[in-house]
Amino acid sequence: MLIAEVAQYMVNGLVLGALVALPALGLTLIFSVQGFVNFSVAAQMTVGAYAAWAAGAALGWPPILIMPVAFVVPGILGIVADRLALAPVRRRPGAHTPLMLAVVSIALNLALENALHFLFGGDLRSFDLAVERDVSVAGIAMGPQQLRNLATALTIAVTLAAFFSLTRWGKAMRAVADNADLARLKGIEPARLAGLATFIGMGLAGIGGALLAIDTSVDPSTGSRLILIIFAASVVGGLTSLTGAVLGALVVGIVGEVALIVMPPVYQSLTAFVVILLVLLIRPNGLFAAVGVRR
Amino acid sequence: MAKTTRREFLIHAAGAAAVGAAGFGPMRARAQDSGPIKIGMIIPLTGTTSQYGTTMSIAAKLAVNDINGAGGVGGRQIEVVIEDDRSNPEAAVRAARKLIDIDKVVAIGGSYASAVTSAIAPLCWESRTVLFTASGADSITRTPHQGYIFRTSPTVTLQGTRVGQFAREIGAKSFFFLGPQTPFAQSYIDIISTIFKEGGGTGGGLIYEEKRASYRTEVDQALRAKPDVVILGGYVPDTGVVLKDLFRAGYAGGRIGFSFGVNQVLAQAIPAEVGEGAYSLVPSASEESTAYKTLIAKMNLPSLNTYSCQMYDHVVLAALALANEPSAPINGTTLRDNVRAISQNRSGQQVFDAAAALKLVAAGKAVNYDGPSGPLEFAENGDVEGVYFRYEQMQKGTMALLKVA
Repeated sequence: MLIAEVAQYMVNGLVLGALVALPALGLTLIFSVQGFVNFSVAAQMTVGAYAAWAAGAALGWPPILIMPVAFVVPGILGIVADRLALAPVRRRPGAHTPLMLAVVSIALNLALENALHFLFGGDLRSFDLAVERDVSVAGIAMGPQQLRNLATALTIAVTLAAFFSLTRWGKAMRAVADNADLARLKGIEPARLAGLATFIGMGLAGIGGALLAIDTSVDPSTGSRLILIIFAASVVGGLTSLTGAVLGALVVGIVGEVALIVMPPVYQSLTAFVVILLVLLIRPNGLFAAVGVRR
Repeated sequence: MAKTTRREFLIHAAGAAAVGAAGFGPMRARAQDSGPIKIGMIIPLTGTTSQYGTTMSIAAKLAVNDINGAGGVGGRQIEVVIEDDRSNPEAAVRAARKLIDIDKVVAIGGSYASAVTSAIAPLCWESRTVLFTASGADSITRTPHQGYIFRTSPTVTLQGTRVGQFAREIGAKSFFFLGPQTPFAQSYIDIISTIFKEGGGTGGGLIYEEKRASYRTEVDQALRAKPDVVILGGYVPDTGVVLKDLFRAGYAGGRIGFSFGVNQVLAQAIPAEVGEGAYSLVPSASEESTAYKTLIAKMNLPSLNTYSCQMYDHVVLAALALANEPSAPINGTTLRDNVRAISQNRSGQQVFDAAAALKLVAAGKAVNYDGPSGPLEFAENGDVEGVYFRYEQMQKGTMALLKVA
């Protein structure tokens, strides 16, 4: 009985974790290349969700076709927002600290969220899709949409892994993430990669938001509600490791759900904090950070 | 600049404190001697509790037109200052501070979510500002409010009792409550448990963290208890997610929610099959009264929720109470002392029209004002008495009325 319960909660956590993995990958990618935590991934997640919703509602496209929209719109908006809000801070010699940039990105997140509120209002928007009953395998229930979300998230993670290990741009980004100074010596200009990292990172967040919205619904705060566990996933993964971000998201998702067996659900957000705390106490560089990486 | 010694600092500080005491002390008593009489409204225009916000504001403004059209209070116009609480107690506190300190309102109306009302209530009674509230949590009128709080909405105890009784009426032997952390969640679980135990039934509950994307694990926990009925204690966004998760899990039992969670806004936000058959308990406006019919005609609507009717009545009650004692200073204390004299005066003339009531009061006549939200009779502790409920059910994506009781 208890084993079945734990298994069910693990599956629930896995599904949530897979969704969180995409924005966590985005956060980690941007941190690796640009060196600061860009909290506006949360609002870009919502931007992706609204872009997908608008494409789905206005054009009537099926979910699989609207994913590129959910990637490109927040990707481009991410670059624009970076140029308008963050680049001026980076250019000031005194203000160019990771902390300052992170604080500005929080302000940017609020600005984007309020802009969405202005454009779309505060109502919940649902995709015009039928809600499907769960399928049960060996006593463990899972929704078809959740299976599709899991598959989409995994496909994207694998595609990214291929991009980073097989292409020039991907290798260059990894080099910058590993050691920016060494990469510069080899002729890679980190600043040039920043735009690409922002585009991909925000796009990933957008897809995460769109998948979440298809499964639930979207309102202007959809992404901001998840920022804590996205950040936790990224920190647990070591902030510079892309594999770490995915595994971190799964760990945070599963721990959060399984903890409900012994803990009242109202304290669920607490688990994300506890996981961060424990991981940092035991491994200050995060669970999956490569040894020697300093950021 | 020369260094300030500790002695100098103390002298300056004492001086500043004295000036402050002299300056701020009388200011409170001096409220509103000229210009329009200001009444604050703290209304959820955005956020999770905002589903009625728009009609709430319109109703409050209509009340202002009606009062000013009838000559205002003692020849002075009234004005409402509407602030958005963003469904958030912190924003509500900032709004209340602004209304009390800057606008110097005599009363604050609106105040819908219980968390919002609990947060702003102490500011109101400490500044001797009347608070008219549409919230349900019992704890609100148990505070030492010295009579400054008037509640126009039924309490959680009353709503919980009705929901528990209704759940048993539809044949449920066991229930499970799923709701977010609010000032009333545990009260609901306790009240409904008592009602089920009296009938030999069982039940339990779970308080979840609000605004999550998924409540699958919470729903799994609830369904493990195999309840005949699930009571939905959340606001619209959470309730939508919970209903979807119940549907996915194949739950076939009853679902009962409250007006703030299961309503037309929710019905439009979720697929029809997900909400089909869900019941809702809705505090009813005084739908047979001429006051209600006049208001919906003015708003050009086929029907109106009780909360918006209550906003109308908050403004009217404030105006009538102040007009009732023209020789007294225009402030919250005068208002507090005169509300019952115009709302529940047994020997007064029963009036359903705000303008007519104001004219009678101005002529020195006794009135008993009954508004669109109800007869407006307040118990000693400020709770409203004599409330009816609408029992509604979601059918094919719209809320259908089952009965009023």
